[in-house]
Amino acid sequence: MSPFSVCLMAIVALAILGLPVGYAMIAGSIVYLLVAGQDLSIAAEQLLQGLRGSFVLLAIPLFIMSAELMNVGSLSNRLLHFCNAIVGRFRGGLGHVNVVQSVIFAGMSGSAIADAAGVGRLIISLMTREGRYTRSYAAAITAASAVVGPIIPPSIPMVLFALVSDASIGYLFLGGAVPGLLMAAALMALNSAMARLRGFPVEEAVPLRAVPRITFRAFPALMMPVILLGGIYGGITTPTEAAAVAAAYAFLISLVLYRDVTFAQAYEAVLTSARSSASIGILIGGALVFNYVVTIENIPADLSAFLADYELSAVSFLLMVNVILLILGCLLEGITILLVIVPIFIPMAQVLGIDMVHFGVVVVVNLMIGLITPPYGLLLFVVGSVAEAPLLAIIRDVLPFLAALLCALAIITFVPDVVLWLPRLLGYNG
Amino acid sequence: MRGRLLKLAGWLRRRAENIAAALLAVVFVSFILQIVFRYVLGWPVGWTLEVSTLAWMWLVLWGAAFVVRERDEIRFDILFSTVSPRLRRGFVVIAGVVLAGVFAISLPAVVDYVTFMRVESVSYIDLRLDYAFSIYILFALAVIGRCLYRIGAALQGKSPETADLALHREE
Repeated sequence: MSPFSVCLMAIVALAILGLPVGYAMIAGSIVYLLVAGQDLSIAAEQLLQGLRGSFVLLAIPLFIMSAELMNVGSLSNRLLHFCNAIVGRFRGGLGHVNVVQSVIFAGMSGSAIADAAGVGRLIISLMTREGRYTRSYAAAITAASAVVGPIIPPSIPMVLFALVSDASIGYLFLGGAVPGLLMAAALMALNSAMARLRGFPVEEAVPLRAVPRITFRAFPALMMPVILLGGIYGGITTPTEAAAVAAAYAFLISLVLYRDVTFAQAYEAVLTSARSSASIGILIGGALVFNYVVTIENIPADLSAFLADYELSAVSFLLMVNVILLILGCLLEGITILLVIVPIFIPMAQVLGIDMVHFGVVVVVNLMIGLITPPYGLLLFVVGSVAEAPLLAIIRDVLPFLAALLCALAIITFVPDVVLWLPRLLGYNG
Repeated sequence: MRGRLLKLAGWLRRRAENIAAALLAVVFVSFILQIVFRYVLGWPVGWTLEVSTLAWMWLVLWGAAFVVRERDEIRFDILFSTVSPRLRRGFVVIAGVVLAGVFAISLPAVVDYVTFMRVESVSYIDLRLDYAFSIYILFALAVIGRCLYRIGAALQGKSPETADLALHREE
């Protein structure tokens, strides 16, 4: 048996036995070094040098921190009032509010889980008050709209894709904008139809003359995406620096301007961010080590050669990738797939002449949909515990949304212009 | 005695959390300084970037060693969460022995590598790389220690969820 197959088997076995995926990859790679008779310190070297050398990775703790800081203050609440004033007046209004706030909030946090656990909590309690919407529907639409978050820039998964593919983060972010809005529109259309069908209540409309005041109250929060994306596309800051600016801005408005966050709450937010950064970080570390093994073994080249034998076209390749990722998405967590499985596809995509920005957006959309695919959709568990609704009921209510998002995925996959139009408009030559 | 030990463990854990939070704060502040230096003062400096990448590397390894709780870990738990508690304890023992084993076997080579790195230093802040990289040794020791603790707990018949040092604080 070759050292590489021993390594793969060790990783899979250890992960199934319940070891965290990052540790399983580190351990499996050390097993590889042992069997292949290489220096055992290579695992440590790859991990240390990889973490120290990848500048783009710094965006991850910073985006996590800005999301946590926004979640503790009244920032999310003000944003919610603003969305309610704008779209709450239509039938199924709070459902629309849910989607719109996801789109705006997405311009800040970059993480679907933070989105669902933070603002999601507020809106679920709003929707279920006095039994206006069923708990499971509130949970389902919150999960579905949180999926849109990391498609619209900024986005932690896109940062990770940039890491494994060397594609430009700035253009990847831009590439997600139109597909993200398309998906949000699909969700809102579906929500409208459901509201009519199931007779959801119409909220009392916020009087128009109150709108300026509510907008003013939410203004600092609304400026966040402007600062962030303006900074990146005005050529002022790199995406990583923009993440730091976002965190600083969240800190400033919560602690100085609104003064509704205590020092203890701020510390708790920083600690929570440090904790999630470390658990994602060790997974990235494991992927860095495993990636060394994959490279040494020349796996991508072998797979590309295998692919060339089958004379796969770009379209059928994308279709195959989508099916594989959707199936894996039912079983594995998104970041794991992104760091372990996706790197294998990247050289093949390059051979087939698929644009990396297009491919990145397809992959990320796919993985985000995986977050709400039963049985292992992480977001389903998050909203389930927030809404206190049984998982099965949520799954039943999430299925129509899932179908809508899958249609959007098909469009994004087969019409690359949906993704590439905006980046090209702003100077991308792909 | 046991109560006192748990108290000590809780105290140590809170200090470890202080350090993790501080490391994230360092990542953040040095990044902000870098932006201020470069865009506001027009005076690019190199050390800020080095400090933030080093702090990030430390944050990951320090956090993974002492701050991340079992329930925060990203794992593939479809099978793990459905088998009987008895079998699950068996899983913990096997996985723990393998993980602690490979970390222990590679430890001498890792120590060699880290001490060898004293020949290099981080360019701007003039920090010797063996100091910077020594965090990995600490991490490896913590991984081995945690594995042994979990194996011990599993052999005594405790479920993996309660075999988490971190949980004692909340109880």
